[in-house]
Amino acid sequence: MFSFRYVLRETGQNLWRNILLAVATVVTVGVSLAMFGGFMLFQVAVDSATARWQDGVEFIVWMNTDAGTDEDSSVRNQLDESPGVDRWEYIDRQQSYEEFKEFFEDTPEVLEIFTAEGVPPYYRVVPTDPDPDVVEELGSQFKGKPGVRTVTFAGDVIRDVQNLSNRAGRVLFIGSIVLLGASTLLILNTLAVAIGNRRPEIEIMRLVGATKWFIRVPFMLEGLVQGLLGAIVAMISNSLLRNYVIDQFSDADGLQLLAGFKVDDAAMLQVNLLVVAIAVGVAVIGSNLAVAMHLNE
Amino acid sequence: MIKMEKVTKVFKGDVVALRDVTIDIGKGEFVFLVGPSGSGKSTFIRLLNREDVPEHGRIFVAGRDIGGLSGWRVPYLRRNIGYVFQDFKLLQKKTVAENVAFALEVIGKGPQVINRQVPAILELVGLSRKMDRFPRELSGGEQQRVSIARAFVNRPLILLADEPTGNLDPTTSVGIMRLLERINEIGTTVVMATHDSSVVDSMRQRVVELDRGMVVRDQARGVYE
Repeated sequence: MFSFRYVLRETGQNLWRNILLAVATVVTVGVSLAMFGGFMLFQVAVDSATARWQDGVEFIVWMNTDAGTDEDSSVRNQLDESPGVDRWEYIDRQQSYEEFKEFFEDTPEVLEIFTAEGVPPYYRVVPTDPDPDVVEELGSQFKGKPGVRTVTFAGDVIRDVQNLSNRAGRVLFIGSIVLLGASTLLILNTLAVAIGNRRPEIEIMRLVGATKWFIRVPFMLEGLVQGLLGAIVAMISNSLLRNYVIDQFSDADGLQLLAGFKVDDAAMLQVNLLVVAIAVGVAVIGSNLAVAMHLNE
Repeated sequence: MIKMEKVTKVFKGDVVALRDVTIDIGKGEFVFLVGPSGSGKSTFIRLLNREDVPEHGRIFVAGRDIGGLSGWRVPYLRRNIGYVFQDFKLLQKKTVAENVAFALEVIGKGPQVINRQVPAILELVGLSRKMDRFPRELSGGEQQRVSIARAFVNRPLILLADEPTGNLDPTTSVGIMRLLERINEIGTTVVMATHDSSVVDSMRQRVVELDRGMVVRDQARGVYE
Protein backbone atom coordinates (compact mmCIF):
# COMPACT_ATOMS: atom_id res chain seq x y z
CA MET A 1 0.00 0.00 0.00
CA PHE A 2 1.28 3.42 -0.86
CA SER A 3 1.41 6.21 1.65
CA PHE A 4 0.66 9.26 -0.49
CA ARG A 5 1.73 11.57 2.31
CA TYR A 6 5.12 9.85 2.35
CA VAL A 7 5.47 9.97 -1.43
CA LEU A 8 4.55 13.68 -1.62
CA ARG A 9 6.88 14.54 1.28
CA GLU A 10 9.80 12.64 -0.24
CA THR A 11 9.20 14.17 -3.68
CA GLY A 12 9.14 17.65 -2.16
CA GLN A 13 12.30 16.98 -0.16
CA ASN A 14 14.12 15.64 -3.22
CA LEU A 15 13.22 18.75 -5.20
CA TRP A 16 14.27 21.05 -2.38
CA ARG A 17 17.60 19.29 -1.78
CA ASN A 18 18.62 19.78 -5.43
CA ILE A 19 16.82 23.07 -5.96
CA LEU A 20 19.41 24.62 -8.30
CA LEU A 21 19.58 21.56 -10.51
CA ALA A 22 15.79 21.29 -10.43
CA VAL A 23 15.43 24.94 -11.50
CA ALA A 24 17.93 24.40 -14.33
CA THR A 25 15.95 21.40 -15.48
CA VAL A 26 12.63 23.23 -15.34
CA VAL A 27 14.07 26.16 -17.31
CA THR A 28 15.57 23.88 -19.97
CA VAL A 29 12.37 21.89 -20.32
CA GLY A 30 10.42 25.17 -20.40
CA VAL A 31 12.64 26.76 -23.08
CA SER A 32 12.60 23.66 -25.28
CA LEU A 33 8.84 23.29 -24.98
CA ALA A 34 8.40 27.04 -25.57
CA MET A 35 10.40 26.66 -28.79
CA PHE A 36 8.26 23.72 -29.78
CA GLY A 37 5.09 25.64 -28.85
CA GLY A 38 6.34 28.67 -30.83
CA PHE A 39 6.95 26.44 -33.84
CA MET A 40 3.43 25.04 -33.54
CA LEU A 41 1.81 28.45 -33.06
CA PHE A 42 3.58 29.98 -36.07
CA GLN A 43 2.55 27.01 -38.18
CA VAL A 44 -1.06 27.45 -37.06
CA ALA A 45 -0.91 31.19 -37.75
CA VAL A 46 0.65 30.77 -41.20
CA ASP A 47 -1.84 28.02 -42.05
CA SER A 48 -4.62 30.31 -40.91
CA ALA A 49 -3.32 33.21 -43.03
CA THR A 50 -2.77 31.06 -46.11
CA ALA A 51 -5.60 28.59 -45.56
CA ARG A 52 -6.91 28.96 -49.08
CA TRP A 53 -3.49 28.38 -50.56
CA GLN A 54 -2.58 25.09 -48.92
CA ASP A 55 -1.73 21.84 -50.67
CA GLY A 56 -0.41 23.34 -53.90
CA VAL A 57 -3.40 25.54 -54.71
CA GLU A 58 -2.05 28.17 -57.14
CA PHE A 59 -5.18 30.05 -58.17
CA ILE A 60 -8.76 30.51 -57.10
CA VAL A 61 -11.72 31.01 -59.41
CA TRP A 62 -14.24 33.14 -57.54
CA MET A 63 -17.84 32.79 -58.77
CA ASN A 64 -20.49 35.47 -58.62
CA THR A 65 -22.87 35.10 -55.69
CA ASP A 66 -25.74 34.83 -58.20
CA ALA A 67 -23.97 32.47 -60.65
CA GLY A 68 -26.42 29.96 -62.15
CA THR A 69 -26.10 26.19 -62.49
CA ASP A 70 -25.19 26.42 -66.18
CA GLU A 71 -22.38 28.86 -65.47
CA ASP A 72 -21.14 26.69 -62.65
CA SER A 73 -21.19 23.57 -64.83
CA SER A 74 -19.31 25.36 -67.56
CA VAL A 75 -16.44 26.21 -65.18
CA ARG A 76 -16.38 22.65 -63.81
CA ASN A 77 -16.27 21.16 -67.30
CA GLN A 78 -13.39 23.42 -68.26
CA LEU A 79 -11.51 22.48 -65.07
CA ASP A 80 -12.12 18.76 -65.74
CA GLU A 81 -11.05 18.97 -69.36
CA SER A 82 -8.04 21.24 -68.95
CA PRO A 83 -4.82 19.14 -69.09
CA GLY A 84 -3.07 21.84 -67.03
CA VAL A 85 -5.34 21.22 -64.02
CA ASP A 86 -4.24 18.46 -61.70
CA ARG A 87 -7.23 18.67 -59.32
CA TRP A 88 -9.72 21.16 -57.97
CA GLU A 89 -12.03 21.60 -55.02
CA TYR A 90 -15.33 23.43 -54.89
CA ILE A 91 -16.03 25.54 -51.80
CA ASP A 92 -19.76 26.20 -51.73
CA ARG A 93 -21.40 29.33 -50.40
CA GLN A 94 -21.92 27.96 -46.88
CA GLN A 95 -18.31 26.66 -46.54
CA SER A 96 -17.05 29.93 -47.97
CA TYR A 97 -19.11 31.85 -45.42
CA GLU A 98 -17.70 29.70 -42.58
CA GLU A 99 -14.16 30.48 -43.76
CA PHE A 100 -15.10 34.14 -44.03
CA LYS A 101 -16.41 34.17 -40.46
CA GLU A 102 -13.26 32.52 -39.20
CA PHE A 103 -11.10 34.97 -41.13
CA PHE A 104 -12.89 38.01 -39.72
CA GLU A 105 -13.80 36.69 -36.29
CA ASP A 106 -11.96 39.54 -34.64
CA THR A 107 -13.81 42.21 -36.61
CA PRO A 108 -17.50 41.75 -35.86
CA GLU A 109 -18.36 44.96 -37.73
CA VAL A 110 -17.37 43.21 -40.99
CA LEU A 111 -19.32 40.10 -40.07
CA GLU A 112 -22.43 42.17 -39.41
CA ILE A 113 -22.45 43.47 -43.00
CA PHE A 114 -22.22 40.09 -44.71
CA THR A 115 -24.52 37.06 -44.73
CA ALA A 116 -24.00 33.67 -46.41
CA GLU A 117 -25.77 35.00 -49.49
CA GLY A 118 -23.23 37.78 -49.85
CA VAL A 119 -20.17 35.54 -49.82
CA PRO A 120 -19.14 33.98 -53.14
CA PRO A 121 -18.43 30.28 -53.68
CA TYR A 122 -15.11 29.44 -55.34
CA TYR A 123 -12.89 26.79 -56.89
CA ARG A 124 -9.44 26.04 -55.48
CA VAL A 125 -7.29 24.82 -58.34
CA VAL A 126 -4.07 22.82 -58.23
CA PRO A 127 -2.26 22.97 -61.58
CA THR A 128 -0.02 20.19 -62.88
CA ASP A 129 2.82 22.69 -63.33
CA PRO A 130 3.39 25.33 -60.59
CA ASP A 131 5.51 27.52 -62.92
CA PRO A 132 4.16 31.09 -62.42
CA ASP A 133 3.84 31.79 -66.16
CA VAL A 134 1.97 28.55 -66.78
CA VAL A 135 -0.31 29.20 -63.79
CA GLU A 136 -0.96 32.77 -64.94
CA GLU A 137 -1.94 31.59 -68.40
CA LEU A 138 -4.10 28.75 -67.08
CA GLY A 139 -5.94 30.96 -64.59
CA SER A 140 -6.50 33.72 -67.11
CA GLN A 141 -8.56 31.29 -69.22
CA PHE A 142 -11.26 31.53 -66.56
CA LYS A 143 -11.31 35.31 -66.37
CA GLY A 144 -14.34 36.83 -68.01
CA LYS A 145 -16.25 33.56 -68.23
CA PRO A 146 -19.95 33.89 -67.47
CA GLY A 147 -20.55 33.60 -63.71
CA VAL A 148 -16.89 34.14 -62.83
CA ARG A 149 -16.27 37.14 -60.65
CA THR A 150 -12.49 37.10 -60.63
CA VAL A 151 -9.42 34.85 -60.52
CA THR A 152 -6.78 35.32 -57.86
CA PHE A 153 -3.28 33.83 -57.80
CA ALA A 154 -1.18 32.61 -54.92
CA GLY A 155 1.60 34.84 -56.04
CA ASP A 156 5.14 35.17 -54.81
CA VAL A 157 4.26 36.74 -51.46
CA ILE A 158 2.10 33.82 -50.33
CA ARG A 159 4.73 31.32 -51.41
CA ASP A 160 7.48 33.36 -49.78
CA VAL A 161 5.54 33.43 -46.52
CA GLN A 162 4.97 29.71 -46.69
CA ASN A 163 8.59 28.99 -47.55
CA LEU A 164 9.89 31.28 -44.82
CA SER A 165 7.47 29.71 -42.37
CA ASN A 166 8.61 26.24 -43.39
CA ARG A 167 12.28 27.12 -43.03
CA ALA A 168 11.83 28.92 -39.70
CA GLY A 169 9.59 26.08 -38.56
CA ARG A 170 12.24 23.51 -39.39
CA VAL A 171 14.89 25.41 -37.44
CA LEU A 172 12.58 25.82 -34.46
CA PHE A 173 11.48 22.19 -34.69
CA ILE A 174 15.04 20.82 -34.86
CA GLY A 175 16.15 23.20 -32.10
CA SER A 176 13.30 22.15 -29.86
CA ILE A 177 13.94 18.44 -30.49
CA VAL A 178 17.63 18.91 -29.57
CA LEU A 179 16.64 20.81 -26.43
CA LEU A 180 14.01 18.23 -25.54
CA GLY A 181 16.73 15.59 -25.78
CA ALA A 182 18.87 17.75 -23.49
CA SER A 183 15.90 18.12 -21.13
CA THR A 184 15.50 14.36 -20.95
CA LEU A 185 19.18 14.00 -20.09
CA LEU A 186 18.94 16.81 -17.53
CA ILE A 187 15.98 15.15 -15.81
CA LEU A 188 17.97 11.89 -15.86
CA ASN A 189 20.98 13.63 -14.28
CA THR A 190 18.90 15.47 -11.67
CA LEU A 191 17.32 12.21 -10.61
CA ALA A 192 20.69 10.45 -10.65
CA VAL A 193 21.95 13.08 -8.18
CA ALA A 194 18.80 12.70 -6.07
CA ILE A 195 19.23 8.92 -6.05
CA GLY A 196 22.90 9.30 -5.15
CA ASN A 197 22.03 11.62 -2.26
CA ARG A 198 19.52 9.14 -0.91
CA ARG A 199 21.62 6.00 -1.38
CA PRO A 200 21.71 5.16 2.38
CA GLU A 201 17.95 5.52 2.68
CA ILE A 202 17.38 3.40 -0.42
CA GLU A 203 19.59 0.65 1.03
CA ILE A 204 17.57 0.66 4.25
CA MET A 205 14.31 0.69 2.32
CA ARG A 206 15.37 -2.35 0.29
CA LEU A 207 16.39 -4.30 3.37
CA VAL A 208 13.29 -3.59 5.43
CA GLY A 209 11.03 -4.69 2.58
CA ALA A 210 9.92 -1.57 0.71
CA THR A 211 8.60 -2.52 -2.71
CA LYS A 212 10.37 -1.52 -5.88
CA TRP A 213 7.60 0.96 -6.75
CA PHE A 214 7.55 2.49 -3.31
CA ILE A 215 11.24 3.30 -3.77
CA ARG A 216 10.84 4.46 -7.36
CA VAL A 217 7.70 6.56 -7.27
CA PRO A 218 9.08 9.64 -5.41
CA PHE A 219 11.89 9.91 -7.97
CA MET A 220 9.57 9.44 -10.92
CA LEU A 221 7.17 11.98 -9.46
CA GLU A 222 10.08 14.39 -9.05
CA GLY A 223 10.83 14.06 -12.78
CA LEU A 224 7.15 14.52 -13.60
CA VAL A 225 6.91 17.67 -11.47
CA GLN A 226 9.96 19.12 -13.25
CA GLY A 227 8.43 18.29 -16.63
CA LEU A 228 5.07 19.83 -15.73
CA LEU A 229 6.66 22.98 -14.30
CA GLY A 230 8.55 23.25 -17.60
CA ALA A 231 5.23 22.88 -19.43
CA ILE A 232 3.78 25.75 -17.39
CA VAL A 233 6.76 27.94 -18.36
CA ALA A 234 6.16 27.01 -22.01
CA MET A 235 2.41 27.69 -21.79
CA ILE A 236 3.08 31.15 -20.36
CA SER A 237 5.54 31.74 -23.20
CA ASN A 238 2.95 30.51 -25.75
CA SER A 239 0.36 32.87 -24.34
CA LEU A 240 2.75 35.83 -24.53
CA LEU A 241 3.76 34.87 -28.07
CA ARG A 242 0.14 34.72 -29.16
CA ASN A 243 -1.00 37.92 -27.47
CA TYR A 244 2.01 40.15 -28.07
CA VAL A 245 3.55 38.88 -31.31
CA ILE A 246 1.13 36.93 -33.49
CA ASP A 247 -1.89 39.12 -32.75
CA GLN A 248 0.20 42.22 -33.46
CA PHE A 249 0.85 40.91 -36.98
CA SER A 250 -2.84 40.40 -37.64
CA ASP A 251 -3.63 43.89 -36.34
CA ALA A 252 -0.97 45.54 -38.48
CA ASP A 253 -2.58 48.04 -40.86
CA GLY A 254 -1.86 47.61 -44.53
CA LEU A 255 -0.64 44.04 -44.24
CA GLN A 256 -3.62 42.41 -45.90
CA LEU A 257 -1.78 39.09 -46.21
CA LEU A 258 -1.38 38.93 -42.46
CA ALA A 259 -5.04 39.63 -41.72
CA GLY A 260 -5.62 35.93 -41.07
CA PHE A 261 -2.31 35.48 -39.23
CA LYS A 262 -3.73 34.38 -35.89
CA VAL A 263 -4.21 31.49 -33.50
CA ASP A 264 -7.73 30.80 -32.29
CA ASP A 265 -8.58 29.48 -28.82
CA ALA A 266 -9.12 25.89 -30.01
CA ALA A 267 -5.70 25.79 -31.70
CA MET A 268 -4.11 27.37 -28.62
CA LEU A 269 -5.66 24.69 -26.42
CA GLN A 270 -4.42 21.95 -28.75
CA VAL A 271 -0.88 23.34 -28.75
CA ASN A 272 -0.90 23.63 -24.95
CA LEU A 273 -2.21 20.08 -24.54
CA LEU A 274 0.51 18.87 -26.89
CA VAL A 275 3.13 20.77 -24.85
CA VAL A 276 1.86 19.10 -21.64
CA ALA A 277 1.85 15.69 -23.32
CA ILE A 278 5.44 16.15 -24.53
CA ALA A 279 6.49 17.38 -21.07
CA VAL A 280 5.00 14.25 -19.53
CA GLY A 281 6.71 12.12 -22.20
CA VAL A 282 10.12 13.75 -21.58
CA ALA A 283 9.68 13.36 -17.82
CA VAL A 284 8.60 9.73 -18.06
CA ILE A 285 11.50 8.82 -20.36
CA GLY A 286 14.07 10.72 -18.24
CA SER A 287 12.72 9.28 -14.98
CA ASN A 288 12.54 5.72 -16.26
CA LEU A 289 16.06 5.89 -17.62
CA ALA A 290 17.30 7.32 -14.30
CA VAL A 291 15.71 4.65 -12.12
CA ALA A 292 16.71 1.89 -14.55
CA MET A 293 20.33 3.06 -14.64
CA HIS A 294 20.85 4.22 -11.05
CA LEU A 295 18.29 2.48 -8.85
CA ASN A 296 19.20 -1.15 -8.56
CA GLU A 297 16.57 -2.39 -6.12
CA MET B 1 12.51 -21.75 10.27
CA ILE B 2 15.64 -21.71 8.07
CA LYS B 3 16.83 -24.59 5.96
CA MET B 4 19.70 -24.77 3.49
CA GLU B 5 20.10 -27.81 1.26
CA LYS B 6 23.45 -28.30 -0.47
CA VAL B 7 23.84 -24.56 -1.09
CA THR B 8 26.79 -23.38 -3.17
CA LYS B 9 27.50 -19.75 -3.97
CA VAL B 10 30.24 -18.82 -6.42
CA PHE B 11 31.32 -15.24 -7.15
CA LYS B 12 33.08 -13.88 -10.22
CA GLY B 13 36.47 -15.39 -10.86
CA ASP B 14 35.30 -18.75 -9.53
CA VAL B 15 35.57 -17.62 -5.92
CA VAL B 16 33.56 -20.15 -3.93
CA ALA B 17 31.91 -18.30 -1.01
CA LEU B 18 29.77 -21.22 0.16
CA ARG B 19 30.25 -24.86 -0.78
CA ASP B 20 27.58 -27.52 -0.43
CA VAL B 21 26.18 -26.08 2.83
CA THR B 22 23.33 -27.97 4.46
CA ILE B 23 21.89 -26.66 7.70
CA ASP B 24 18.59 -26.53 9.57
CA ILE B 25 17.81 -23.75 12.07
CA GLY B 26 14.65 -24.12 14.13
CA LYS B 27 12.16 -21.47 15.22
CA GLY B 28 13.41 -19.45 18.17
CA GLU B 29 17.03 -20.66 17.92
CA PHE B 30 20.00 -18.38 18.50
CA VAL B 31 22.85 -19.28 16.14
CA PHE B 32 26.35 -17.81 15.94
CA LEU B 33 28.12 -17.98 12.60
CA VAL B 34 31.86 -17.95 13.23
CA GLY B 35 34.94 -18.34 11.13
CA PRO B 36 37.81 -16.31 9.69
CA SER B 37 37.31 -13.41 7.29
CA GLY B 38 36.29 -14.68 3.87
CA SER B 39 34.89 -17.91 5.28
CA GLY B 40 31.39 -17.16 3.91
CA LYS B 41 29.55 -15.73 6.96
CA SER B 42 28.30 -12.58 5.25
CA THR B 43 27.37 -14.53 2.12
CA PHE B 44 25.37 -16.90 4.32
CA ILE B 45 23.41 -13.94 5.70
CA ARG B 46 22.97 -12.25 2.32
CA LEU B 47 21.52 -15.45 0.88
CA LEU B 48 18.94 -15.67 3.67
CA ASN B 49 17.81 -12.12 2.89
CA ARG B 50 17.73 -12.83 -0.88
CA GLU B 51 20.34 -10.17 -1.56
CA ASP B 52 22.08 -12.94 -3.44
CA VAL B 53 20.92 -16.23 -4.91
CA PRO B 54 22.90 -19.48 -4.81
CA GLU B 55 24.25 -21.23 -7.89
CA HIS B 56 23.17 -24.58 -6.50
CA GLY B 57 20.96 -25.85 -3.71
CA ARG B 58 17.78 -24.61 -2.12
CA ILE B 59 17.06 -22.23 0.76
CA PHE B 60 13.83 -22.34 2.74
CA VAL B 61 12.71 -19.55 5.05
CA ALA B 62 9.53 -20.19 7.05
CA GLY B 63 8.85 -23.17 4.80
CA ARG B 64 9.11 -21.21 1.55
CA ASP B 65 11.77 -21.86 -1.09
CA ILE B 66 13.16 -18.34 -1.45
CA GLY B 67 15.28 -19.23 -4.49
CA GLY B 68 12.12 -19.45 -6.56
CA LEU B 69 10.63 -16.19 -5.29
CA SER B 70 9.79 -13.74 -8.04
CA GLY B 71 11.35 -10.27 -7.68
CA TRP B 72 8.16 -8.54 -6.54
CA ARG B 73 7.79 -10.99 -3.62
CA VAL B 74 11.27 -10.41 -2.22
CA PRO B 75 10.23 -7.24 -0.28
CA TYR B 76 7.51 -9.25 1.45
CA LEU B 77 10.10 -11.89 2.45
CA ARG B 78 12.29 -9.13 3.88
CA ARG B 79 9.45 -7.82 6.03
CA ASN B 80 9.81 -11.07 7.98
CA ILE B 81 13.57 -10.66 8.39
CA GLY B 82 15.22 -7.94 10.47
CA TYR B 83 18.76 -6.90 9.57
CA VAL B 84 21.36 -5.43 11.94
CA PHE B 85 24.60 -4.03 10.52
CA GLN B 86 28.07 -3.64 11.97
CA ASP B 87 28.11 0.06 11.00
CA PHE B 88 24.51 0.70 12.15
CA LYS B 89 23.49 2.42 8.88
CA LEU B 90 21.38 5.03 10.63
CA LEU B 91 20.07 8.00 8.69
CA GLN B 92 21.93 10.98 10.11
CA LYS B 93 19.25 13.57 9.32
CA LYS B 94 16.54 11.65 11.11
CA THR B 95 16.02 11.41 14.85
CA VAL B 96 16.06 8.11 16.71
CA ALA B 97 12.27 7.84 16.49
CA GLU B 98 12.25 8.84 12.83
CA ASN B 99 14.91 6.23 11.99
CA VAL B 100 12.77 3.52 13.56
CA ALA B 101 9.52 4.87 12.10
CA PHE B 102 11.13 4.94 8.65
CA ALA B 103 11.21 1.14 8.58
CA LEU B 104 7.43 1.03 9.09
CA GLU B 105 6.62 3.98 6.89
CA VAL B 106 8.33 2.54 3.81
CA ILE B 107 6.35 -0.67 4.02
CA GLY B 108 3.14 1.34 4.02
CA LYS B 109 2.22 1.31 7.72
CA GLY B 110 -0.03 4.16 8.78
CA PRO B 111 0.53 6.76 11.50
CA GLN B 112 -1.56 4.83 14.04
CA VAL B 113 0.66 1.75 13.81
CA ILE B 114 3.81 3.88 13.80
CA ASN B 115 2.72 5.89 16.83
CA ARG B 116 1.99 2.69 18.73
CA GLN B 117 4.98 0.54 17.74
CA VAL B 118 7.85 3.02 17.72
CA PRO B 119 7.61 4.06 21.40
CA ALA B 120 7.11 0.41 22.38
CA ILE B 121 10.26 -0.78 20.61
CA LEU B 122 12.29 2.18 21.91
CA GLU B 123 11.16 1.21 25.40
CA LEU B 124 12.36 -2.36 24.73
CA VAL B 125 15.83 -1.18 23.65
CA GLY B 126 16.04 1.37 26.45
CA LEU B 127 16.04 4.54 24.37
CA SER B 128 12.65 6.04 25.25
CA ARG B 129 14.24 9.17 26.62
CA LYS B 130 16.43 9.70 23.58
CA MET B 131 13.85 9.30 20.84
CA ASP B 132 14.30 12.92 19.67
CA ARG B 133 18.10 12.77 19.54
CA PHE B 134 20.03 12.51 16.28
CA PRO B 135 22.44 9.58 15.72
CA ARG B 136 25.50 11.84 16.07
CA GLU B 137 24.36 12.64 19.61
CA LEU B 138 24.43 8.97 20.63
CA SER B 139 27.20 6.59 21.67
CA GLY B 140 28.09 3.60 19.47
CA GLY B 141 26.15 1.24 21.68
CA GLU B 142 23.09 3.48 21.59
CA GLN B 143 23.32 3.74 17.82
CA GLN B 144 23.40 -0.05 17.57
CA ARG B 145 20.31 -0.20 19.81
CA VAL B 146 18.52 2.11 17.38
CA SER B 147 19.62 -0.16 14.53
CA ILE B 148 18.21 -3.18 16.41
CA ALA B 149 14.99 -1.29 17.16
CA ARG B 150 14.61 -0.50 13.49
CA ALA B 151 15.23 -4.13 12.53
CA PHE B 152 12.79 -5.44 15.12
CA VAL B 153 10.01 -2.82 15.03
CA ASN B 154 8.05 -4.85 12.47
CA ARG B 155 8.31 -7.95 14.72
CA PRO B 156 10.10 -10.11 12.13
CA LEU B 157 10.33 -13.90 12.50
CA ILE B 158 14.09 -13.81 11.96
CA LEU B 159 16.78 -11.33 12.96
CA LEU B 160 20.03 -11.40 10.99
CA ALA B 161 23.00 -9.60 12.54
CA ASP B 162 26.27 -9.14 10.69
CA GLU B 163 29.02 -8.37 13.24
CA PRO B 164 26.71 -6.21 15.40
CA THR B 165 29.37 -5.79 18.09
CA GLY B 166 32.23 -5.30 15.64
CA ASN B 167 32.45 -1.54 16.23
CA LEU B 168 31.73 -1.61 19.98
CA ASP B 169 33.82 -1.92 23.11
CA PRO B 170 33.43 -5.11 25.20
CA THR B 171 31.17 -3.54 27.84
CA THR B 172 28.82 -2.08 25.28
CA SER B 173 28.85 -5.40 23.39
CA VAL B 174 27.49 -7.14 26.46
CA GLY B 175 24.54 -4.76 26.52
CA ILE B 176 23.83 -5.37 22.83
CA MET B 177 24.02 -9.15 23.33
CA ARG B 178 21.58 -8.94 26.25
CA LEU B 179 19.21 -7.08 23.98
CA LEU B 180 19.51 -9.68 21.22
CA GLU B 181 18.99 -12.39 23.81
CA ARG B 182 15.76 -10.72 24.95
CA ILE B 183 14.55 -10.51 21.37
CA ASN B 184 15.39 -14.20 20.96
CA GLU B 185 13.45 -15.06 24.12
CA ILE B 186 10.34 -13.45 22.62
CA GLY B 187 10.51 -16.20 19.96
CA THR B 188 12.55 -14.56 17.21
CA THR B 189 15.15 -16.69 15.46
CA VAL B 190 18.51 -14.89 15.62
CA VAL B 191 21.43 -15.62 13.28
CA MET B 192 24.52 -13.61 14.11
CA ALA B 193 27.82 -13.55 12.25
CA THR B 194 30.67 -12.57 14.57
CA HIS B 195 34.39 -12.55 15.23
CA ASP B 196 33.82 -11.73 18.88
CA SER B 197 34.92 -14.82 20.83
CA SER B 198 34.01 -13.42 24.24
CA VAL B 199 30.43 -12.85 23.16
CA VAL B 200 30.12 -16.37 21.74
CA ASP B 201 31.75 -17.97 24.74
CA SER B 202 29.58 -16.10 27.23
CA MET B 203 26.28 -16.90 25.52
CA ARG B 204 26.77 -20.68 25.01
CA GLN B 205 24.36 -20.92 22.10
CA ARG B 206 24.52 -22.98 18.93
CA VAL B 207 27.71 -22.27 16.95
CA VAL B 208 28.13 -22.93 13.24
CA GLU B 209 31.71 -22.56 12.06
CA LEU B 210 32.48 -21.87 8.43
CA ASP B 211 35.85 -22.26 6.78
CA ARG B 212 36.43 -21.58 3.08
CA GLY B 213 32.71 -21.78 2.49
CA MET B 214 32.13 -25.10 4.20
CA VAL B 215 30.48 -25.92 7.53
CA VAL B 216 33.30 -27.42 9.58
CA ARG B 217 31.52 -27.41 12.93
CA ASP B 218 27.89 -27.26 14.10
CA GLN B 219 27.80 -27.38 17.87
CA ALA B 220 24.89 -26.90 20.27
CA ARG B 221 25.80 -24.67 23.26
CA GLY B 222 29.19 -24.16 21.65
CA VAL B 223 32.14 -21.86 22.08
CA TYR B 224 34.12 -19.76 19.59
CA GLU B 225 36.96 -22.26 19.13
